[in-house]
This record gives sequence, C-alpha cells and structure tokens, in this order.
Amino acid sequence: MSIIEFRKTSKHFGDLKVLDEVDLHIDVGEVVVLIGPSGSGKSTLLRCINGLEQISGGDLVMDGISVRAGKKQLRLIRQEAGMVFQQFNLFPQMTALENVAFGPRKVRGASVAGAREQALALLEKVGLSDKAGHYPAELSGGQQQRVAIARALAVRPKVMLFDEPTSALDPELKQEVLTVMRQLAQEGMTMVVVTHEMAFAKQVGTRLIFMEHGKISVDGHPREVIENPPSERLRDFLQHVE
Amino acid sequence: MQTDWSVVLNFLPQLIGGAKITVQITVIGLFGGLILGTMAGLMRAYGGRVLNAIAFTYVELIRGTPIVVQVMFLYFAMPVLTGLRVDPMSAAVLAIIVNAGAYIAEIVRGAFLSISRGLSEAGLALGLPQWKVLVYILGPLAFRRLIPPLGNQFIVSLKDTSLFIVIGVGELTRTGQEIMAANFRAVEIWTAVAVIYLILTGTMSVALRMIEKRMRIL
Repeated sequence: MSIIEFRKTSKHFGDLKVLDEVDLHIDVGEVVVLIGPSGSGKSTLLRCINGLEQISGGDLVMDGISVRAGKKQLRLIRQEAGMVFQQFNLFPQMTALENVAFGPRKVRGASVAGAREQALALLEKVGLSDKAGHYPAELSGGQQQRVAIARALAVRPKVMLFDEPTSALDPELKQEVLTVMRQLAQEGMTMVVVTHEMAFAKQVGTRLIFMEHGKISVDGHPREVIENPPSERLRDFLQHVE
Repeated sequence: MQTDWSVVLNFLPQLIGGAKITVQITVIGLFGGLILGTMAGLMRAYGGRVLNAIAFTYVELIRGTPIVVQVMFLYFAMPVLTGLRVDPMSAAVLAIIVNAGAYIAEIVRGAFLSISRGLSEAGLALGLPQWKVLVYILGPLAFRRLIPPLGNQFIVSLKDTSLFIVIGVGELTRTGQEIMAANFRAVEIWTAVAVIYLILTGTMSVALRMIEKRMRIL
C-alpha cells in the first residue's frame, strides 16, 4: 500500500526546474535512500512531502491527503511525517526533555504528565535518558540529532523523513545517529532518507533512488544498484562518495 | 556668577510633579507602543502583501516625520479634520504610542527575522500552525534579542516627551521652563531638570539590564 505518492510532481524556483514531473510511490515499511549530486533535487523532493516546499505542478499525496488540500490538511500530513534536519534545529530555549515533549503537548494535546513520560521513554530509546535536563547547547552534535529524532517520533508519525541527518557530524558521531536510524528501520518504520552514507544504504535501505536534474534516474535495490551501477553517471557518483 | 541651589529645593515638589507626568506619558505611551509595534512588526515579517504594505506605510510615515510635527498634528490638526478635541495629555500619550510603535515595529521585525529559519521549519514540521510557532518557539527567542534595542527606544521615547512642551503638557521640561520664567535661575533649574531625567533614564537602564541578565541570551 502506498503511503507517499508523487504524481507528476514538479517544483520550480523561478525558472529553475528542481523537480521535473516526478512519479514515485513509496509503500509502508520501505526504507528509501535518496542520493544524487548537489542540486539534483533530492532534498527538495523530501521537503515537498511535508509541504515545507510547495509543489508547483502535479500532485503529491501523503497518507491519503494531498499537499494541495489546504493548510489544515497540510498540518495533518506533517503530524504523520516526522522530519529530521541536517542542522538538528532543536529549540535552544528548551531542555532535551522539553524539546521531545513539545510536539505531543502542542500538536496532539497530550497532558503534561503523559507527554513527559513519553518523552522520557523516547530519550531512553535514543540512549539519552541521562541528558533529559540538558539544553541543546550542552549536547554534542550526535546527541542533538538523536534528541531531534526523538522529538520527531514523539508526535507518532507514520513516516520519518531524514534530510542529510549525518552531514553536519564528525565521523565518530555519525555512527550513533545511524545506529538509532537502523533500529527504527528494524521496527518497521517507513523512512525516506537523503544521505551520502552508502554503507547505511546497503545495510538498511530497501530501495535506492539516484536523482539527476530533478528526475529519478535509477530506482532499485540498494545492494544490486551499488554493486552493479546501471548508469555511467551513477558509477561515477558512487566512486566520489565512497 | 552667583548660584543659589536652595531654589531647587524650593521648587522640588513642582519639578517632581512634572516628572510624574513625564513618567505617566512614557509608561502608558510605551505600553501602547509595544502592542502597536509588535503587531506592526509581525505584520511586516509574516503578514501577507496587504498587511505588510499597511505596516510598511505606517512605519515609513512615522519614521520620516519629526515627533513634534506628529504631536502638533494630533493636537491641532486632528480636531479640525475630525471634529474630535483631545486634551494635551491624551495627544502626548497618543504621540508616544504612534511614534514608539513605528520604531518598535522595526525592532520586532528584526528580532524575529534574525532567528534561524530552521527553527521555524522544525516547528511547522511537527504540525504546528504558524501562530503557535510564533508564540511558543520564535517569540521567546526573539524577546531576548529585543531587550537591548528596546531599552534604547524606551530611553529615546522618555526624552521625546520633553518636546510636548509645544502643546503645553505640564511635564518635566515644561515645569522647568515655567519656574525659569519666573525666577531666571537658569543654571540651577536646568541642572535639576537634567539630573531628574538622568535618574529616570538610569532607572530604566538598570531595570532592563536586570531583565536581560535574568534571561539566558541565546
């Protein structure tokens, strides 16, 4: 069953075509890894799913709701599609616990106690129960990103969107974030991940999409595609990433 | 030159009376100015084309004209135009509201826009409506950045009340002027007036610095 459907989706920034009539169906439980050179449209594709970028043509349906259906419907989409950003974007005036409890409180209308309890459980899940009272500025990049994952999960989304979640991290900090993501995938979470981590794509991904000039140029099983690139351009790209 | 500082003591009750009116105009005016300025600033930063244009026109109109002209307009021209008479005190308070509001609008706009777009996106991505992102996420962060420039504006507005001498409001400067006209003790009276202004602005500075210190500036 498709939970995300791109239907000839286009996106322009002025004259620049960033997405060019993309057709893509993503099913529940898939872990889709998006790769491609910078400017190929992979981040834009991701950001269109939860309406952070407005599509310019075609349609995009997430969990049965079109991103063009209106503001209220867009908020429903966003509740079902948690997002993790490259720059973490934790709320600096709130502790780790408050960051995680914030969504349930203000979006789902959870009680203070309920939100707190759930936040503590999620922080434990990402291995940070001892940092609950710390502010983002007091955490390492890897820890901040794990809090950000917990914050997104707290709203109980059906899909998780990751926009280069490890690109801003030192190599040794990347692993702790990737571990949490691997665990999520094992639990059956539907995930769309923009990343350059090819090892993660191979081990965790169920599908690899290579984008070029706003179009999907390769779509296949990660291991097969990586070991046997069907296009010269992809072969070239993989050599530069690895 | 002979100075006699006992005059100051004799006229102190009158001067303090004037200072009270100065404080009254400033406090009510800045309270209104904060509300008006916050609204206009948010309209500039997040409003659609129409709201943005309204706020922009207001800010440019007020920033581009002297406050003395504004209060003269409110006090002398408005009654002619609308038939509504305002007393000098109301005209003075209104002038501070309108004038400070325009400057505060720009301060508010700058503070909100200086906050990383990513934080706003993080809030929206959770499924929050825009107004909740403003109130719960950006607002508290912007407020901390507002305090230093706001302190500046508060002090400017307090001193601007001295210009209302032109419509005969009995504030501190006007009181000093009246005492002076009667006894010609220029040095003593104007020194006293200046010192009282310094005490008022100094108190304001200290209060703002205390608020600033109590918050972690991010």
